[in-house]
Parts: sequence; C-alpha cells; structure tokens
Amino acid sequence: MSSSPKTQRTAQFLDPFTYLTLLSAVGIFACLVFSPIFMRSLVSKTIQVDPDIPEQLAPIQLKKELIGALRIDVSAAIPDNHWVTYEIQLKDQQGQVIASGIKQAWRESGSWSEEGESGIWTEDDLVGGLDVRPTKAEPVTIVLDVLEYTDISGKEIDQPVPFKVSVVNGAIDTRYLWTGILGATFLAFLALLVTPFSGKVIIDKSVGDSDISGRGILGGAKNLVRVTVNIKSDEYSPRSLTVLLVINDGNGEQLYSTRHPVHLSLKKSEGGKVTSAKGNLTTFFILEPRSSYGFHVEVTPDSTIDRTALIVREHCKTLIPVSVTSLKSTQ
Amino acid sequence: MTKFFALLAILLAGTTIFYGFTQQSALVLRQEKQDNHWTRYDTQTSGSYRGGVWVTSPTRQTYGSFRGGGPGAGK
Repeated sequence: MSSSPKTQRTAQFLDPFTYLTLLSAVGIFACLVFSPIFMRSLVSKTIQVDPDIPEQLAPIQLKKELIGALRIDVSAAIPDNHWVTYEIQLKDQQGQVIASGIKQAWRESGSWSEEGESGIWTEDDLVGGLDVRPTKAEPVTIVLDVLEYTDISGKEIDQPVPFKVSVVNGAIDTRYLWTGILGATFLAFLALLVTPFSGKVIIDKSVGDSDISGRGILGGAKNLVRVTVNIKSDEYSPRSLTVLLVINDGNGEQLYSTRHPVHLSLKKSEGGKVTSAKGNLTTFFILEPRSSYGFHVEVTPDSTIDRTALIVREHCKTLIPVSVTSLKSTQ
Repeated sequence: MTKFFALLAILLAGTTIFYGFTQQSALVLRQEKQDNHWTRYDTQTSGSYRGGVWVTSPTRQTYGSFRGGGPGAGK
C-alpha cells in the first residue's frame, strides 16, 4: 500500500552557500557605494604654476587615521599638442620634501582620413594623483612643480600651466573594491551554474530509445532527490512530448505515475529547417524511507526520439523554491 | 562546491574591503618600506624615504629644475 503523493512548494533546500557567495559580491558593492562618506574635501581649486617655480598650497594638518588616505588629484589644463611633466610634492614643517610623484601629462590631436571619411582625433592623459598615508600627526604642505613644459616638437614653453587641484582626506582605494566585486561576481556566477548539479549521482543512464529505467538505493528524510530526464529528438520532432515518470519501491509497488508535458527547443539550420530538438524534465521528490527505488521513463510519441537520458541525484540543493513530491513506501 | 565558492568569495570580500578602506596602496609617509604602493594615474614616485630623508630618484634629477636633494641638500 502506498499513501497518495503530496506535492508542496518549499524553500527548504535552497543552497545557503550560493546565496552567501552572491551576498559577498553585493556586500563589496555596498562598501563601494558608501565609501564616499569617509571623504572630506580640503581643497578644490585651479592654480597657475610657472615652469620651474613651485607653487605651494596652504598647509594641511595630517594625523594617522585608520580609514582612508590623503588623496591629491591634479589635472593639467593644457592646449592640444603640448606636453607637461609635473611633480606633486609634500613638504614637512621644515620645508623638506617627504614625498613626491611625477606625472607626464600630454594632449595631442590630429586629423585622419580613411576611405573617403575624415575626422579629428584627440587623446590625452592629464590627470595625476598621489594617495598618502601619514604615520604621525604633522602639518604638510602640498607643492606643485612644473618640471618641463613643451610643445610636440620639444620646444620649451615659458607660460604658466593651469592645474585643477583637488585634495581629499579619508579617500578609499576603490580599485580593490572593484577587483573584489569582479571576483565575487564571477564566483557567484559559478555557484549559480553548479547548484543545479549539486548532490550525489545515483543513476545516470542514457539510451538511443524512448524508454529508460534505473534502480538505486536512495532517499530518506530531508533528502531531496532530483530526477532529470533529457530528451533528444530528430528533425521530424513535434513541439512537445509527454514524459511518463513512474517510481516503484523495493517490492515493485507503484508509488508515483504521472505524465508531464515537455516543451522542446528546436535547433534550426541556417535555412530555417528543423535539424533536431531538445527538451528536459526536472522533478523533485522526497522518498521515505531510504531504500531501493526504481525509476521508469516513457516518452511519447516515441517515433522521433533519438536519445533519452535519466539522471537521479540525491542530497540536492536548489537555487529557487521548488515543488517537491513526498512519497512514502510502506514496505 | 558552492561551499568552496562561498569561502573564496568571503575571503575576497574581506581582503578587498580591508585593503580598500585602510588604503594599503597609498604611499606611507616617512617609511622606507612601501610594499603595497600602487600608483594612481601613472604618477610615479620620484624618490624614496631613506634614513629619515626623501632621496630623489635619478630620473627626477635629469629635469632642469633639479636643485639637489637627499642628505646634505641645501648646504
């Protein structure tokens, strides 16, 4: 005797680790979004710097901080086809340089013509930046020095260069966060990909026919069994097929027998002719007690079926809540 | 398998958030060791901190405005 099957939608078998991987990616993204709250703008202005005459900004009091760094961003505003090499320096109270960085900035443009079309291109690399982390409390002075200012031919230009300077304290390095987001998203993608294949394969059979059977020892309480039927059909395939899935217990007693409609995805040649079709059926069961169970599949109409595969896995996890049919054997 | 991905993702999140927020890539003032320094906008440091002073790098010294630096500078 067997009790009538109960089918219930449940989230009980969701894979927490897949969601944890997703959550990691979301978490880093949230940190990226909230990172500007630590930033305090100290300077934001445009200054003119004569070549070889260093220009100083007002001193800034620094102290050792746990989060963020002092960020100095500089953008040179120069005309086309000019090059400027500038240095960002940090001086201590005694006027000694304690850090410096050089940027070779340029802006070039020209015209192009190709196959009767023409236009103008411009390319530049004007922004320089230095992030510094103080190790003690001290005032520092930011100095901007133009080391070399030339046109494209190398001729020196003795004119002041306008720079847009922005100094921010508490700046976070978002490059790490972007790296983390990319990496964690990739891992989450892999986790999503492998979750449907979780669990242990108990039956994996394939035949060049429409009927297939398999038997294995599986089941038990809180053990999700995933039954997958993969069908390959030929060029005369209908759009949909019917899969009869029968489950018997160890005594051959029928516990389940249901017809499932399966829609096929048609593979077409370049001319639009159907060459083959594929479809699959995935169903979930809880089989109690742990015992020997037989699975039998019949695909109808069977005339166009090239191949049928039956895969039964146990201890499965799912991505989304699924409908699970509970079957009890009373042997 | 997903356990492994989750572990990797959590480690990655922890590391990148820690490195990003504590600015491991920044130039550390008054320090000789700069293991994690990662330049921004291709702005190369033009010196290094040695024995308590900023010693200008040889490339920096080729520029016209160079007036000397390092130990004994300004004497």
